[in-house]
Amino acid sequence: MNPLYLEVAVVILGLLLLVAESFAGPGRKSGIAHPAITGLILIFIATFWVNPAALDASAPYARFYSTDSLAIFFKQIALLTTIVVLIMAQEFAPVVEANLPSSRRGAGLGEFYALPVFTCAGLMWMASAVDFVLIFVSLELVTISFYILVSYLRHDRLSVEAGVKFLVLGALSTGFLVYGITWIYGVTGQTNLNAIAAVIPALKVAAAPALLFGLGLVLVSLGFKVAAVPFQFWIPDVYQGAPTPITAFLSVASKAAGFVVLLRVLQTFVVVPYLQEKILPLMALLAGVTMVFGNLAAIPQSNLKRLLAYSSVAHAGYLLLGVASLGAPFVGSAILFYLGAYLLMTLLAFLVMTIVAKAVGGDDIADFNGLNQRAPQLAFAMLLAMASLAGVPLTVGFLGKLFIFEAAYQQGHFVLITIGIVTVAAGFYYYLKIVRAMYWQQAADPDAPGIPVGIAARITIAILCALIIWLGIYPAPLLSLIH
Amino acid sequence: MLTLGNYLIVSGLLFAIGLGGVLLRRNILVIFMGLELMLNAANLSLVAFARHGATAVGLPDYNAQVLVFFIITVAAAEVAVGLAIIVALYRQRQTAHVEDLNQLKF
Repeated sequence: MNPLYLEVAVVILGLLLLVAESFAGPGRKSGIAHPAITGLILIFIATFWVNPAALDASAPYARFYSTDSLAIFFKQIALLTTIVVLIMAQEFAPVVEANLPSSRRGAGLGEFYALPVFTCAGLMWMASAVDFVLIFVSLELVTISFYILVSYLRHDRLSVEAGVKFLVLGALSTGFLVYGITWIYGVTGQTNLNAIAAVIPALKVAAAPALLFGLGLVLVSLGFKVAAVPFQFWIPDVYQGAPTPITAFLSVASKAAGFVVLLRVLQTFVVVPYLQEKILPLMALLAGVTMVFGNLAAIPQSNLKRLLAYSSVAHAGYLLLGVASLGAPFVGSAILFYLGAYLLMTLLAFLVMTIVAKAVGGDDIADFNGLNQRAPQLAFAMLLAMASLAGVPLTVGFLGKLFIFEAAYQQGHFVLITIGIVTVAAGFYYYLKIVRAMYWQQAADPDAPGIPVGIAARITIAILCALIIWLGIYPAPLLSLIH
Repeated sequence: MLTLGNYLIVSGLLFAIGLGGVLLRRNILVIFMGLELMLNAANLSLVAFARHGATAVGLPDYNAQVLVFFIITVAAAEVAVGLAIIVALYRQRQTAHVEDLNQLKF
């Protein structure tokens, strides 16, 4: 099957959902979540039958669109994340309904399920983009849909405030990206990454500052997307204010797409030695600062969403350590494995959090007190997610960190590995704070009834838990998917 | 005769004015105008680069000019969504100043 059909199918699904939404009667808008989830699952299954050779290499779009294994793997990440986010959104629907201006029940709920589908299409195009034009357009498709989704709860003060902050900083990073692309184009005369890579070695030395200026601006913009320090300051506010399913979407899919673009751009430029010796130390510095800041800032947090926001900054640091080790034999696989692991454990944590926060009415760590007595299965799932995020052996998170550190070891980043290990130890402290609240603290109301969980969410939690343990013991299936 | 350098200086100035507006001004609408200026600075320098990096037959490089159209379109979409969000904020709080965005704090 031609890989181009995947995005086309996702966009058509999104349009059909919008049509269905406008014809659905009042109170039945939430029904469109089912076709959305089913359709995305079918497309996800179809990705395993994609044949990259079906793409005509001489066709005009082949200049923009790549179908290597990196692209296919990231398309699968995008689809899987969107499916879980939609399941989370179903659990989250009562909160959305309560915070919309309309007095009619369920009005305005339909777009909450349709917009993530369009975001998913943008993420999938981003995974394949090998031209700055397509990188820019798909990145904006993702970012603009996220503006709407983050500020979706229009009666919630935090959500709208988070939306405005995200809007200003997202548009700022777009400005940097576009101006950076301009300078790279001005120096090389190309927007295609492969063509740029072919032109760069022949450039005059006098052109190097202009090229580095452009590349620097592009890297600043991507730093915003992947939440690298010092461009992380929007992360905690936006993560806390956004609707919880959208926070999960942002922290997994947006970060993964940022990293795929970062990898593609850097692979274009590190072929030249004089650029390589400037870029890779910069990445190493960013990685060190991000690991330290993310982990230290997470320690005093009392709100679980803010804590996970800083934890996502910390994970960006470990991923950047992988990026700084470009050149090690299997560093690409290590980064992809880490992203796959990060997807599983973060989605699990947010899914459990959505369900618990709906029942308890808050997302502070104190709201999780005594969860083990009230809902032992949910508490166990959260325990597993936290153990994996912290990097406890026999979970997938441990192997992810191990592969990254091994790649860094081969490139001789001993200082960074030391920083990494120390910050992982610091990470144990704040992840276990949540475990302590669930298992050793008394619940505010000991007689509270159990927490109801929808059937789709129940199945998803079981699958995610199983994958975290299974891939933590036997990672071969995920590794074979990457190669 | 205008040279490529003249265009680049003007576009650099536009970018700097836009960035200055984003960093220094306190009204969200003015910040948003600054952001649009930054995008237009990129447009100007793209067109200048396309004109001066003419191909062998003397025509400008159309790839960059197509990118300019994409940037204009995306900027329009961004303004539509952005202004809607700012209106939602104003309805909620009767303010459009960044100092009043203080519910989410470290």
